[in-house]
Amino acid sequence: MVITVPLEPDFLLPQVVSSIVGKVLSDQLFEPLAALTPEMNPFGDKGFEPRLAKSWTWAPDSMSIAFSINPRARWHDGRPVRAEDVRLGFDLLRDTLVAAGQGANVADIDSVQVRDSLTAVIWFKRRALDQFFAAVVNIIPVPAHILGGADRASIRNNAFVRAPVGSGRFRFVRWVPGQLVELIADTANFLGRAKLDRVVLSVAPDANTAAQRLLSGEADFYEILRGDQLASAQKSPNIQVKPYGGVDIASLQLNLRDPRNRSRPHPVFGNREIRRALTHAIDRVSIARNIYDTLASVPFAPAPRAYGLADSSIRQLTYDTAAANRTLDSLGWRARNRDGIRVRNGVPLRFSVIFPTSSRPRQRVAVLLQEQLKQVGVGVDVAPVEMNSMIQRMRVRDFDAVLNSWHFDATPSSIRQTWSAAAAREGGDNYGSWTNPAFESAIDSAIAAPDVARARSLYRRAYQIWVDDAPAVLLYEPNLVAGAHKRIKLAMLRPDAWWAYLADWSIPADQRIDRDRVGLAAARQ
Amino acid sequence: MRRLLAARVAQGALVVALVAVITFVLVHLAPGDPIDRSLETSLLSPEARATLRRAYGLDRPLAEQFARWIANFARGDFGWSFSQHRPVRSALASAIPNTLFLMGAAIVASFALGVAVAVLQAARPRRALDRVAGGTLLVLYSIPTVWLGLMLIVVFAQTLGVLPVSGIVDPVLHPYMSLWGRTLDRLRHLALPVATLALGTAASVARYQRSALLDVLAEDFIRTARAKGVRARAVLLGHALRNALAPTITLLGLALPALFGGAVLVETIFAWPGMGLLATSAVSARDYPLVIACAMIGATMVVVGNLVADLLTAAANPRLRSS
Repeated sequence: MVITVPLEPDFLLPQVVSSIVGKVLSDQLFEPLAALTPEMNPFGDKGFEPRLAKSWTWAPDSMSIAFSINPRARWHDGRPVRAEDVRLGFDLLRDTLVAAGQGANVADIDSVQVRDSLTAVIWFKRRALDQFFAAVVNIIPVPAHILGGADRASIRNNAFVRAPVGSGRFRFVRWVPGQLVELIADTANFLGRAKLDRVVLSVAPDANTAAQRLLSGEADFYEILRGDQLASAQKSPNIQVKPYGGVDIASLQLNLRDPRNRSRPHPVFGNREIRRALTHAIDRVSIARNIYDTLASVPFAPAPRAYGLADSSIRQLTYDTAAANRTLDSLGWRARNRDGIRVRNGVPLRFSVIFPTSSRPRQRVAVLLQEQLKQVGVGVDVAPVEMNSMIQRMRVRDFDAVLNSWHFDATPSSIRQTWSAAAAREGGDNYGSWTNPAFESAIDSAIAAPDVARARSLYRRAYQIWVDDAPAVLLYEPNLVAGAHKRIKLAMLRPDAWWAYLADWSIPADQRIDRDRVGLAAARQ
Repeated sequence: MRRLLAARVAQGALVVALVAVITFVLVHLAPGDPIDRSLETSLLSPEARATLRRAYGLDRPLAEQFARWIANFARGDFGWSFSQHRPVRSALASAIPNTLFLMGAAIVASFALGVAVAVLQAARPRRALDRVAGGTLLVLYSIPTVWLGLMLIVVFAQTLGVLPVSGIVDPVLHPYMSLWGRTLDRLRHLALPVATLALGTAASVARYQRSALLDVLAEDFIRTARAKGVRARAVLLGHALRNALAPTITLLGLALPALFGGAVLVETIFAWPGMGLLATSAVSARDYPLVIACAMIGATMVVVGNLVADLLTAAANPRLRSS
């Protein structure tokens, strides 16, 4: 089958992958020790199924887990998977020369010990409810017999990262730069052969072209259909559309520090009551409807619905322009200038919003925000900027507000990367520099909670603190819809990773077309 | 002639060098850097980003980076592509043939079509065929390339299903086809990108060529040929067209930069892995070495194209040749 993707992968080695397409592929090529089940429960180990590890044993104090590697597990070159491979997977993540993206995700893991050739023991620095998740999702075994002696500083230039020998149910065939990456089923895989013979990820940088590929039958799967593309796909007799949620949240992120002098609070957003008033003044339901019709909902908290933690029990700052007007009046922003913008001490209540020129939905949101906030006397200067410029300005905190989108992973503890004091320093991902000790304390307690019920309660408490403090206005959470040819029998599309069960997708024999019948045959020379 | 050639080659080399220097300065002045190019890389900690920046020499002063680039270039080394993760030379080597193939086909198609339409128009000027063709050409000339490309996809790929949407070959079946099958597969994938690039240029060529043909057809030697009983078709194709080709050859030189610019859009729409797509992705990834190399190659193509056009014009016109 052919999957159309917007970009080429960056690498295929899990430890250095930083692009989504690279992740799609490396997840097919490399098996983890254990994998999340469709329920997406990252707490403890109940929500995981064995993969390279056939079983695992917790230490009585939960400070280590011993993974027994399945003796049938093999690399694609036929060599057995060993505990040494697990250790190398961890070492690469922690080595500063490698500069691995997920290095920060294993900060609470101390080491990996090789107890014997088939037993790897992962030692933790501290207990956490999702420590099993952190270990198995991030520490992906890689073949020590090939990469053990590789120069770590130049590992991104190693031929292996573009043509790897993996352990997954698919094996690497070829990477044609700028065009495609091809995988075929590993027929000897101990977890069972992938049900699809061959998968080609074919690059189409233009979103319209990608959708046309699906509609014309040139491609079999496209992960995101929107607007007219979705309508066309729904009308097509050959295409099935499948909503799968998603773990993205779009927001109006507010900079709480003055971009001209970061030692000072922002003249507008430094005030909590103004942030709350702005949230009251924005009709988020109508914005979500306007942009995505029924394919988006207003988030309850800075956490996707897929976690099952953020729900209507969290008190919201609802759309209430009267409340917004009252608050702004009470703060002294009473007088209005000729444009109807509130003024205090001669200073108008206005700010600028940056967003990427490449995002049409965000352009529309900016205009809607401008219109809605004007109704309560708040001026918004809409400032489209080129994506690179936007990222740089976010990194150095040179903005008032930004229309940003967060992509979450499958565990709620990752919120620390976006909203902790540590992430507020320049270069970190807490672009708005909002910090709240009570929030961080609740998150830290949730992470270290003794049981899931307690963790859920603490996460909800943290979310409530966040919502009450309004460091950003949560705008919408798109419900992603994929399109696939009807002959493809899809397995579950997990909200955080539609590709998670790709090896279980299939095409019934009587529905195969020419490209499906190629099977495992080798190409002509 | 030899002196003219030497002078033009020297001028061309200077232009390419200037383009390289200006591109180096501009791309480094633009906000963003290769490590921060995507929010996806926000997975990287600030320390990891600093490590990568050091590894690629991006932490060095701009003057030092420039000196290093010049030194490497002098050794024929275009550097390492941050976004392609391979030598720039290797990235160019896979993209240039694809662009030359596309542009070559587009040039041949556009000039063949343009000249053919002009001949038909000039054969019966101000008649119905001339007027219809003139109107059609004006429309084609006015249509934005992006829109034309998308419409061709909708009509020929999605609605009629006779041509592929994008790509250079069938991603799955191509390696399993016979030689004939592979050739046909390439041509099928070439059709829509070439049509998108060629239709606008063909319209422009036809308008110039028609005008030149009508001028030549009014000259004395044409009247003489007709008086001697040469058939109308032979007069038009054998005498008039040959003498009216000079402006079209000049247009060839001008069409190259336009086609190269158009190739950037067309390659993106049709996922054609050539120089245009490579340059676009290099710019958005702030892949400095690759951006500079793409600019140099683009400038070289344009300079060479102009040089070839000048030489052809000189070859076609004895007065220019002798001067």
